[in-house]
Amino acid sequence: MNRFLDRPLQYKIVSICVFANVIIFVVNIFLLLGINSMSTEMEMVYQDNRHLNRLTNALSSVQDSMTEYLRSKTSDSLKTYYSSAQRFSNLTEELDDRVTDLSFGRMERNIKYMSQNYLNEVSLTIEAKRGRNVEKYRAYYDNATELYSYISEYITSLNLELFVSNSEHYSELTKMFRTYEFISFIVITIVMGGNIIIITNLVSTIILPLRKLVDSANEVAEGNFDTELLEISYNDEIGIVTKAFNKMVISIKQYIERLRMSIEKERHMQERELMMESHLKDARLKYLQAQINPHFLFNTLNAGAQLAMMEGADKTYEYVQTVADFFRYNVKGKTTEVTIGEEVTLVDNYIRILNVRFSGDIGYEKQVDKRLLGASMPNMVLQPIVENAVNHGIREMGDKGKITLKVYREDDNICISIGDNGKGISRENIEKILSGNWERKKDQNDNNGIGMDNVISRLRLFTENDNAVEIKSEGENKGCEVIIRLPFEEKEE
Amino acid sequence: MNTENTPRSNNKRKLNNKESFVMITTVIFVIVTIFLIAVSFSVSLKGFKRKDEAHEFDRYYVMITDNYKSDFWKSVYRGAYAAAKEDNIYVDLLGENFSKNYKTKELMKIATASKVDGIILYADETKEMTELINEAVEEGIPVVTLYGDNTRSNRLSYIGVGGYTMGREYAKQINNIIREKKTENSAEGEKNEQDKGIEVTVLVNSDARYAGENIQNIIIAAMQEGIEEENADGSEVSISIKTVDNTNDFSAEESIRDIFHMEQVPDVIVCLNETNTMCAYQAVVDFNQVGKVNILGCYASEPIINAIDVGVVYATLAIDTDQLGEKCIKALSDYYESGNTSQYDSADVSLINKSNVAEYMKKEDAQNE
Repeated sequence: MNRFLDRPLQYKIVSICVFANVIIFVVNIFLLLGINSMSTEMEMVYQDNRHLNRLTNALSSVQDSMTEYLRSKTSDSLKTYYSSAQRFSNLTEELDDRVTDLSFGRMERNIKYMSQNYLNEVSLTIEAKRGRNVEKYRAYYDNATELYSYISEYITSLNLELFVSNSEHYSELTKMFRTYEFISFIVITIVMGGNIIIITNLVSTIILPLRKLVDSANEVAEGNFDTELLEISYNDEIGIVTKAFNKMVISIKQYIERLRMSIEKERHMQERELMMESHLKDARLKYLQAQINPHFLFNTLNAGAQLAMMEGADKTYEYVQTVADFFRYNVKGKTTEVTIGEEVTLVDNYIRILNVRFSGDIGYEKQVDKRLLGASMPNMVLQPIVENAVNHGIREMGDKGKITLKVYREDDNICISIGDNGKGISRENIEKILSGNWERKKDQNDNNGIGMDNVISRLRLFTENDNAVEIKSEGENKGCEVIIRLPFEEKEE
Repeated sequence: MNTENTPRSNNKRKLNNKESFVMITTVIFVIVTIFLIAVSFSVSLKGFKRKDEAHEFDRYYVMITDNYKSDFWKSVYRGAYAAAKEDNIYVDLLGENFSKNYKTKELMKIATASKVDGIILYADETKEMTELINEAVEEGIPVVTLYGDNTRSNRLSYIGVGGYTMGREYAKQINNIIREKKTENSAEGEKNEQDKGIEVTVLVNSDARYAGENIQNIIIAAMQEGIEEENADGSEVSISIKTVDNTNDFSAEESIRDIFHMEQVPDVIVCLNETNTMCAYQAVVDFNQVGKVNILGCYASEPIINAIDVGVVYATLAIDTDQLGEKCIKALSDYYESGNTSQYDSADVSLINKSNVAEYMKKEDAQNE
């Protein structure tokens, strides 16, 4: 069956038609054979009677020719006698001499033997006549004639008997023929019904995959790409189309997936950019709020610096210049990203300002891998951290306070470490700071307004890594270290 | 791969179910078609009993009688037929199938010319019959005479009934009638004293007169002997013989009716065959002589038995016809097996009268069923 169903569509349809036709053909042939055999039987019905009639004719011609010969003794009549005797003898030979329980069978047998006797008697008559034995041939003639009458009578009776039996037979046959007609009609009807059922079933089996394909195609057309993949039932044309359809559905699905991914990615990127910008803006705003009018300040500071130079106070000039540079950094209107080098310079400036303010109390140590200074990072990051370290770590330590800035490479990361040897931070506070739960004291005015939480969240956004910032503290009075890890990108080297 | 495969294989199974369903329907349909073809074909070829299918017999005997239509001969034929069939022999009652009615002698000629294997013949003692029997025997056909013999011929055997026994049985019945009459007369007084003698008429077939050894003569002789023994003086009984002309089909009836036209109607009529019994019975009824004329019949056909039952026929002698037929077949078979057989055999005879007729009827009914 499977092998059949795997054949091409055309082959299958033709096969089904051929099958149905062959069945009908075979049935018809057999019905025709039946009709043929019955009609043959009907033709044969009166055959026995015909044979008997021939026998009667032959018998009377023997008798007639003998009589004729006895009467006129012509050679013609003798010739006729011989030929008719031969014919009669041949016909009697055909008779059946078996004894059966059918009366006409036995009559046939008796006729056969009587005919032989009769022929014997007739030939004796002819012999006697030729030998001119008048007395004998008369006696023989009488015998023969008597036998002739018996045989004729016998044949007539047999004919009648056969006619009766044959008529019965004939009517029986006619009845049977009617029955046969009826049965044939029923057979043909059943065969036709069966054919219809089989063709319907086969065709529906063949069409079923096609119908499924149509359903599935409709579903896909309505936008449902998650339909079950169609099973390839047979390797016919429908199977091939189904296979192609499946492939198409799969590749459409894959394409849609890829498209979705890239959209997602782009959206994410945009989101990050926006966040960064907003945070920076936030930082700047706060800074500007703190320095009400930086331009005025710069100008003031520049005026101060020029005054110091004219007076020859180099140190004052330098200090004022540094302060100006520090504040200019924030007002420059830079983009969100700067190089590490710029940040480091800002820290340098800041420390220098502080040292002037606090008369060189803060020790500042710098270990920087210059190769990494070109790498980019978010701006306004290092200075707030250093400011934090100074304000909360080492302010009260006088000239013992020390800030360490390190830029180094660790595996695939650029590490920026800002350490101090101040009070340190407790573990709970570290947790609070990293999770953004730290509560700022409101009266704290001596910073430039950018909190650790802002710094940390900007770093996390930039690196897309929640562990971008690490705060280490060995405990009370053992100092603190803030480590920033930035991803190292080859091209920036 | 696996997760993908399971639903697919499920589907496949569903599809396979459909396929196998289609296949099974197709196969069933083809089988049904073949079956239908076979049925219709078998109808078309349903057997007609042709000669080829008919049973074939080893030997073929014919039985020749004077009247194949008579109950007596039919019943004998039935016995013979049944016995023959057991030995795979067929017996024909010759003459049945002819449109013309042939005489016994003609049938004999036909049988001889037909080269049958054996002839059972109701013969008579005519010379012509003797010649015909001899002719048949010359042709190698054994001839058994039945009921009527032809002693001078070369017939193989004669199967008849014991004529003497029959005669004595008739005599016994006549004596019974005489005794009954006597007691009747004495009861009625001496009124009819001069009318004491009893007339007995025996109906004899005309063709029996040719020869002295005919069974009828034996019966009559034995009957006379029996009556004389009982009535030593013989004055009371007078036996007369009435010849019934049976040369043509209707003459017997005429001859019997003649008796009743005579002045002296006999008291007892003895009939020696079925036809005569029937005619006598009808005549007694027609001439209103029931009770006055006693009929002693021969053979127990249904009307005769019924006549005994109603008292019209005094008694009848029933010949065991089955046995008669059977013995004929046995004689012929013996001849084929051993080349010889006994010259004479007889069938049993039993008396049926008012006392045992009911029993006989019951037995017949049982047999018929």
